[in-house]
Amino acid sequence: MTLDPATAAILATVERLVIEVAGDEITLAGPLTLTTSFNADLELESIEFVALAEQLQAHYGAQVDFVGWISTKQLDEIIALTVGDLVTFIAART
Amino acid sequence: MSFTTANGVRLHTTALGAGPPVVMLHGLLIGSLASWYFTAAPALARTHAVQLYDLRGHGLSDRPVDGYDTATMAADLAALIGDRPERVDLVGHSYGALVALAFARAHPDRVRRLALVEAPLPPATFADEHGFLTAGPDHMIAALPPGLREAIAGGRRQAARLLATLRALAYETTLLADLRAEPDLDAAALAAVTAPTLCVYGDRSSCRPAGERLAAQLPDARLALLPGGHYLHLDAKDALTALLVEHLAEHGDG
Repeated sequence: MTLDPATAAILATVERLVIEVAGDEITLAGPLTLTTSFNADLELESIEFVALAEQLQAHYGAQVDFVGWISTKQLDEIIALTVGDLVTFIAART
Repeated sequence: MSFTTANGVRLHTTALGAGPPVVMLHGLLIGSLASWYFTAAPALARTHAVQLYDLRGHGLSDRPVDGYDTATMAADLAALIGDRPERVDLVGHSYGALVALAFARAHPDRVRRLALVEAPLPPATFADEHGFLTAGPDHMIAALPPGLREAIAGGRRQAARLLATLRALAYETTLLADLRAEPDLDAAALAAVTAPTLCVYGDRSSCRPAGERLAAQLPDARLALLPGGHYLHLDAKDALTALLVEHLAEHGDG
């Protein structure tokens, strides 16, 4: 699947920041795709997911209100989040 | 990511929202500031300046060898809060609630309102309740609470990292000894806490008698029971969040 340039750029940023917070062995199984799950596939720890959110906030600024977004979700929805969910959220606000 | 050196320890901190200040403290071992970040903190951040931090030894904070008693950890909190004119609200889960309580006893004039979620009393019972800590490194997983054991049974990375954290805290720090040495709080000790206090406990939690005792012996406290066990922020996320929002929204001198 070919991604449009804006989506591809956000995906690349998310991947770079995931590696930053979790180490580069996190992508040993392959590069991040839109269907990669933060919990089931990457097995990010919850505190690493917070660190990722903080890095995204620092990168994109206040218009990407990650915490406001999270506050609308149930725990099972948070656990099921994919890279694509996050990319879509960011794309709608940048 | 933000870090603050408090009481000689580098602590990972996260600030959310704006308004009157509230500091939220997580529980030991499997807890981190993520415990609140993904549960009650975002809702409180709509009306408050919410300060989250990883307790010493936890999350992304430093893991010093010692200082896991509530007095030292309350000193961490005091250094983190710093000198400020306004009083703060404190919300704590489990041992984090005991740290908040220790702070409120030491600095009653600096706390506006207090919320204690599943604070275990006597404090030393915490180590006994968490039998996996004393099970030895090779038996730790088998002795974990059932829900947690199942959650990590099929895991690889998360399970390995959680075990590494538990082992480091249990065997490379004084945490267990500090917990066992933590004195119980009698009515005279609790009388020093002047802040209006909400005690929230799970109806199925083994800590529930502690909530009943705190509500009876703290000068200005009430008890709320929610359906769930010790990890009430997960078992009853929305109901707990609503109680915290309500308690911290109440005005007046309290």
